[in-house]
Amino acid sequence: MDLEPLPKERALNIEMLISLGALLFSWQVASFFLPEYVLPGLQMVLQEFLKMAQEGTLFWDTLLTLCRIWQGLIGGFLVGALLGVAMGTVKKTENYLIPIVNFIMGIPALAWTLIVILWFRGTETRIFALMLAVSFPVFSHSILDAVKGISKDLMEMTLAFRPTRTQVFRMLIVPSIIPHMLTAWKVTIGFAVRVVIVAELVGASTGVGFRMLQQQSLLNMSGVLAWTMVLVVSGLAMQLLITKMESRLLRWRPSTL
Amino acid sequence: MSKIECRDLTKVFRLGSSYFQAIRDLSFEVDGGELVAVVGKTGCGKSSALNIILGLEKPTGGKLVIDGKEPYNDFDHFRGKLSAVFQTDRLIPWRTVLRNATYALEILRIPQERRIEKARCWLEKLGLSGFENAYPHELSGGMRQRVGIARAFSIDPDILLCDEAFGHLDEVTAIKLRADFLELVRETKKTSLFITHDIDEAMDLGERVLVLGKPARLLMDIQVPSEIKSSPTRRAELKSRIIKAIESDEPAAQG
Repeated sequence: MDLEPLPKERALNIEMLISLGALLFSWQVASFFLPEYVLPGLQMVLQEFLKMAQEGTLFWDTLLTLCRIWQGLIGGFLVGALLGVAMGTVKKTENYLIPIVNFIMGIPALAWTLIVILWFRGTETRIFALMLAVSFPVFSHSILDAVKGISKDLMEMTLAFRPTRTQVFRMLIVPSIIPHMLTAWKVTIGFAVRVVIVAELVGASTGVGFRMLQQQSLLNMSGVLAWTMVLVVSGLAMQLLITKMESRLLRWRPSTL
Repeated sequence: MSKIECRDLTKVFRLGSSYFQAIRDLSFEVDGGELVAVVGKTGCGKSSALNIILGLEKPTGGKLVIDGKEPYNDFDHFRGKLSAVFQTDRLIPWRTVLRNATYALEILRIPQERRIEKARCWLEKLGLSGFENAYPHELSGGMRQRVGIARAFSIDPDILLCDEAFGHLDEVTAIKLRADFLELVRETKKTSLFITHDIDEAMDLGERVLVLGKPARLLMDIQVPSEIKSSPTRRAELKSRIIKAIESDEPAAQG
C-alpha cells in the first residue's frame, strides 16, 4: 500500500498570512483618516526602517539590546539553576532559601529599575543587575520544581547500581530538568524584552528603548512604531530559537506531544 | 553461609499521624545460586522488602545481610553486585534501547566500547536486535520489560531481584517472557529473588517458595518439587496449601 507523503509542516501557513495581511491592510486604510502622529501609513514606517538601517542604528542598537537581554538572562539562569538544584537536592535548603527568593520575586521590575540606578554606576552594570534580579527567581523556582518532579522510580533504579553523586547529576538530574528549563527560558525571554526596554527608557543612551524614547520626543510616530516592530520581531525570534532547541533536544518524546 | 540472610526484619513507616507496619519479624535465608520466589498478597510489604535488600531503605529493626554486609549501611560495597527488574520497566525515556541497556554499565565506568558490546549481547539474547535505536515509548510493554531485564543482567550482578516483573503484561507475553527469563537465570546461575503475587508464577519460577503474610513475615518456606511440572494434581495440591496458608493469616492482618 502506498501512503500519501505527509505534508511538510510550515512555519508560515496561509491562515497566518491572511490574518497578518488583514491587519496591515486595516492599518493602511486607517492611516488615511488619522493624523500622522497617531497612525502613519506603512510606507512611512518603511521609510523609517530604511533611515535606521542607513544610520546603522537598526543593527547596532538592536544587537546591543539583545546582548543585554542574553547577558542578564544567562547570569540569572546560572544563579537560578544553582539555587534551584541546591534547594531540590540538599535537605532543608529549600526552607531557608525559598522565602528570600519569593521576596525578591515580589519586587516589581519597575522598582528594581529605580533601585539598580541608585545602587550601581554605568548603564551596562545596571541593566545586567536588573535582568539578573528579575530573572533568577523565575529560573530557580522552575528548576526547583523540575528537580522535585524527577521520577522517584528512576531515581531508585539508578541508586540501586550505586552511582556517584556526579553520575546521578549528569545521567539523571540534568536530562530530567531540561524540558522545564527550556520552558522557563521561553517565559523569561518574553518578560525580559519588556523589562530591558523600560530600563533603556529610564537610564540608557543606547539600545532600542532609548531610540524609542528619542523618536517619541521628536513626536515621530513612524519611528516609535518601527522600533516597536523591531522589539516584537526579536522577541518572537528568540522564542522561536528556544522552540527549535526544544524540538532538537527533546526528540525522544512521543511525537503526539 | 547463606548468601542472603534476613533476621527478624521489621519495617515501620510513618503514614501521616499514624504508623504502618509493612514488615514484621521476617526471617529467611537464600543460598548462593538459588532461585527463590516470594509470594504474598498485594500490599503485604514485599516491595518494601525489596527496597531494603537493594539498600534503598533502612530497616526499622532486625538485619538483612548479604555476604556478611548490610546493603543499606555498606551502600557502596554493593556497587555492581545488585540488579533489579521492577514492576514497571523504569527505562530512561530519553535514552534509546541500547543506551538504556548500557546505563548500569556506564555507572560502573565500563569503557564505552566494552559496554556497547555487552549491552548488544544481552539485547540479542532477549530478542531485541534491530531495536537498539528505538526509544522506550516506541516499544510494547513486553519489549520494554525485556530492555529492563537486559539492563539488569548487563552488569553480571551477584544477586538479581525481580519485583512483579511480569505483572503488568498480558498473559501470552508474560508466559513467553517468564520462560526466557528463567532460561537466562539458569544459564547464568544467578542467585535470584522473584517477588510476585501470582501463586502460579511463583511455582513456575521458584525452586523454593517463601509465602509471606501481611504485614510481611514468613508463613511458609517450601521446596517446589519438580513433579508439579508433570502432575497437575501435585501442582493443585501445592497451590491449595499455599492459598490456605495465606488465608489462615487473615485475622493477623488486623494487628
